[in-house]
Amino acid sequence: MSVIKLTGGRVIDPANGINDQVRDIYVKDGRIVAALADGDKVSAEYNVSGRVVMSGAIDMHTHIGGGKVNIAREMLPEDHRGDPVARTEVTRSSCGYCAPGTLAAGYRYAEMGYTSCFEPAIIPMNARQAHMEMGDTPIVDTGGYAMLGSDDFLLRMLVANEDQKSINDYVAWILHSTQTLGIKVVNPGGISAFKFNQRKLDLDEQNAYYGVTPRRIIQTLTRAVHELGVPHPLHVHASNLGVAGNVDTTLATMEAAEGRPIHLTHIQFHSYGTEGDRKFSSGAARIAEAINRHKNVSADVGQVLFGQTVTASGDNMSQYRNAAFASPKKSAVMDIEMEAGCGVVPFKYKDQNFVNALQWAIGLEIFLMVEDPWRIFLTTDHPNGAPFTTYPHLIKLLTDRSFRNAMLDTINPDAKAMSNLAALEREYSLYEIAIMTRAAPARILGLTDRGHLAPGAAADIVVYTENADRERMFEKPDLVFKDGELVVRDGKVVKVVRGNTHVVKPEFDRGIEKKIEPYFRRFHSVRMNNFKISDDELCECGGGSKLIPHACGKRS
Amino acid sequence: MTNEASSTVVTEVACPFCGLACDDLSVDTAGEALAVVGGGCAKAQAGFARLGVSHDGASARVGGQPASLEAACAEVARRVKASAQPVFAGMALDVGGMREVMELADAAGGVVDHLYSEIGWRSTRVVQDVGYVTTTLAEVKNRADLIVLVGTDVVSKASRFFERYVWNDEAMFEPAPAARRIVYLGGGLNTAAGQSPDGRAADVFDFDRARMPEALSTLNALLAKQPVSEAAPLGIELARWQALVEALRAAKYSVLVWMAGDFEPAQVDLNINAIMSAVRALNVTTRSNGLGLGGADGELNASMVHAWQTGYPMRTSFASGIPLYDPVHNGTARLVEQGETDTVVWISALNDKTPPPPEAKVVIAPPTLKLEHEPEVFIPVSTPGVHHVGHFFRGDKGAALPLRALRATRLPSAAKVAAAITAQLKEVSA
Ligand code: SF4
Ligand SMILES: [Zn+2]
Repeated sequence: MSVIKLTGGRVIDPANGINDQVRDIYVKDGRIVAALADGDKVSAEYNVSGRVVMSGAIDMHTHIGGGKVNIAREMLPEDHRGDPVARTEVTRSSCGYCAPGTLAAGYRYAEMGYTSCFEPAIIPMNARQAHMEMGDTPIVDTGGYAMLGSDDFLLRMLVANEDQKSINDYVAWILHSTQTLGIKVVNPGGISAFKFNQRKLDLDEQNAYYGVTPRRIIQTLTRAVHELGVPHPLHVHASNLGVAGNVDTTLATMEAAEGRPIHLTHIQFHSYGTEGDRKFSSGAARIAEAINRHKNVSADVGQVLFGQTVTASGDNMSQYRNAAFASPKKSAVMDIEMEAGCGVVPFKYKDQNFVNALQWAIGLEIFLMVEDPWRIFLTTDHPNGAPFTTYPHLIKLLTDRSFRNAMLDTINPDAKAMSNLAALEREYSLYEIAIMTRAAPARILGLTDRGHLAPGAAADIVVYTENADRERMFEKPDLVFKDGELVVRDGKVVKVVRGNTHVVKPEFDRGIEKKIEPYFRRFHSVRMNNFKISDDELCECGGGSKLIPHACGKRS
Repeated sequence: MTNEASSTVVTEVACPFCGLACDDLSVDTAGEALAVVGGGCAKAQAGFARLGVSHDGASARVGGQPASLEAACAEVARRVKASAQPVFAGMALDVGGMREVMELADAAGGVVDHLYSEIGWRSTRVVQDVGYVTTTLAEVKNRADLIVLVGTDVVSKASRFFERYVWNDEAMFEPAPAARRIVYLGGGLNTAAGQSPDGRAADVFDFDRARMPEALSTLNALLAKQPVSEAAPLGIELARWQALVEALRAAKYSVLVWMAGDFEPAQVDLNINAIMSAVRALNVTTRSNGLGLGGADGELNASMVHAWQTGYPMRTSFASGIPLYDPVHNGTARLVEQGETDTVVWISALNDKTPPPPEAKVVIAPPTLKLEHEPEVFIPVSTPGVHHVGHFFRGDKGAALPLRALRATRLPSAAKVAAAITAQLKEVSA
């Protein structure tokens, strides 16, 4: 039995309403406990007085595993050369900056105080690979969202006007079969439309073959996820990614949810207007106003930060278009298994480029104008806007107005003139940063034992020395504990542990397999039984990681 | 109804004996050797029969003498530790085996090289140079209306390609599978499988396959509406080339198939690049995709795991403590030839036919592998998908299939052996 005491820290734990109170924290066998029982002997005590204590950070949208990420790795040896991770007594070697190896990704996340990461775009047929890659991402907990919406099975159900209950059963079956935590829709129906040679698909435009609109897909899937009681709302990568004027599509997408919970991902890439000489402007004010008004809507930002990165998306329709802007000039676009697709396009965001600079400003405007930190999440859509290792820099931009304005003064002046960023006075507090990087992601994903520090919580704990320079503070925590084990000291991994895999297992009628099995036999490339991932197999894919199922409260 | 519980036939078994990873096999486990009784092909039957035995009596050997597994692993660890530059070659493994070998190679400061890396690195260079537009087998099965096989018949290496993905009873979209059009680019291929079920022969462009770059240049010139001066490029009249280009333009979902191993090694990246130019040109107005097939002997298991763990494709050296990617430098044959390695460790759990290079001092392989020389250490291992569960990446990158355990054996898996060597190595170091 191990008992740890963290003594005298300044605890910031928004899930429990604790804002900078001096408290001792006890950890017994990987869990936080209120106090020690008689006979408990403290095996390690850490004096953290004066230091800031938070739960481990949670990245709710980061592309860390699965086919497209691995394509990006293979594509970009030039990215990796400058960023090696050397083998040590405790860690293995790896490398990469914007498309790091899984080992490098796990170590670096832990070294920044992150203890859970979620891959948001798992093609169902690719779920095994995604779980294998996440299983080889050390230290952090993982999980993912299964992609639906361009899969022929669902589109055929919609054409056949199958009832919502059958659709719910299919959605639940996918969650079970792929061992995932949520459902994602990417360019709803658009990936399928691209296979029929459509090059764009607006919210109310029909798929050329199925006649189904993106709006209908969003309505059906938001309802399915809600009725199944899956904690995480439908995770939506909206139509018209990156297109000037897409702010209207995004606002209409919010309405398409008809009041049910909906999460709009990398919303920065969907917040563009058409004003100005260059017909490209910020739609941030309208987006933020809509989020503030619609309490059913949440979003992560997908902040752009300047420099080289690679964009990797399931949205092959958009990525085929974006390939024209690739830097360096190469791209991979795939149609995948009657379910989805992917597109990998390296990209360099330049601060003197008008569009890139405005994208940077739009992301920050959204962060600062959305009032409720429980509904806006700190992401760069790693690696699409920037690699996750830029998070401490992003936190500094949000918490330090003078720093932000100094940066604003250096970007493309036309972009600066088009942005209201200079006028935004808000500076995020540490409490708000803790909400958006800990408490809120845990809540929106239904992770009841993560993202907080109350008794019963998993002991994922981070200790920082407060520093007015928030970038310095957040890039190198003093101590990081994962499930009660000290894994990082002074910003360096000192012990490697294996994280857990988070899933949901909503109730459903297994009878749906009577429809699914023949479909696989007739049209798919594998048999249904070889598609499904069992609990035992998941643990094997994950290299032995523990499965943590989260409760669903069925609503129909 | 048969009584499932007492049946010795396991159904829906995935096959690890080529890159198609067909998962519709029925395998009878009653006999001494496994017998494929449904699905499958000659290669699958032979593979399950040869490897699907319990390998009773097989034992590790050190210096030709029987040794315990522990002693053999310790001996490998000692040799690897003493080596200036160990090379881990072969790599016909499942995902689990590859994962463990990667940890070993990193700890040992070695190089990892698959038996097909000499071709594989050239394919990978295409994604590093220009990228690609590709599709996967289920899409082909349901959408392809025109399939061009570029310098390959596929079936010589992956016999069930047409059976499983082309001449199906039905497809989700038009056209009906039997109406699909098949074109072969290159002579000397087995084109019989390309004949449609109703007897329509495939369209064969018969020319010396070593001249594939010229053929693809001709196609790309015509696609770009550039003049082609020759009346009959490669001996085939220009009108036929032009007709092919028109057919590609008119097709709704054409697929250009290649197998890198069927190209002249020096032309691999050149040819795939040229295929990608054609595909990109076609996608301006219609949909067209490449389909690179391969993946036999766990080629993709090795390349995928290598890429995700380290960031780099294979032929990376861990000698300096950080990964250094240099596919030209880090080939086993070159390292051996130049005297840059003193220890080749051959690890192969799926392939018991390809002989290890004579320099391999350590061989970790199924006991059915015929060895020309007795290596200094031999460790017999079981086979994934036969003796133990595992995972296998299909050659189109579209799926990773679960492999079953169908036959009991006392032999360890390659993963277990690699982990034991790593543990020993760390002990030697400590
Ligand atoms: S074609 Fe390949 S995968 Fe399919 S049964 Fe034959 S050997 Fe096995
Ligand atoms: Zn994303």
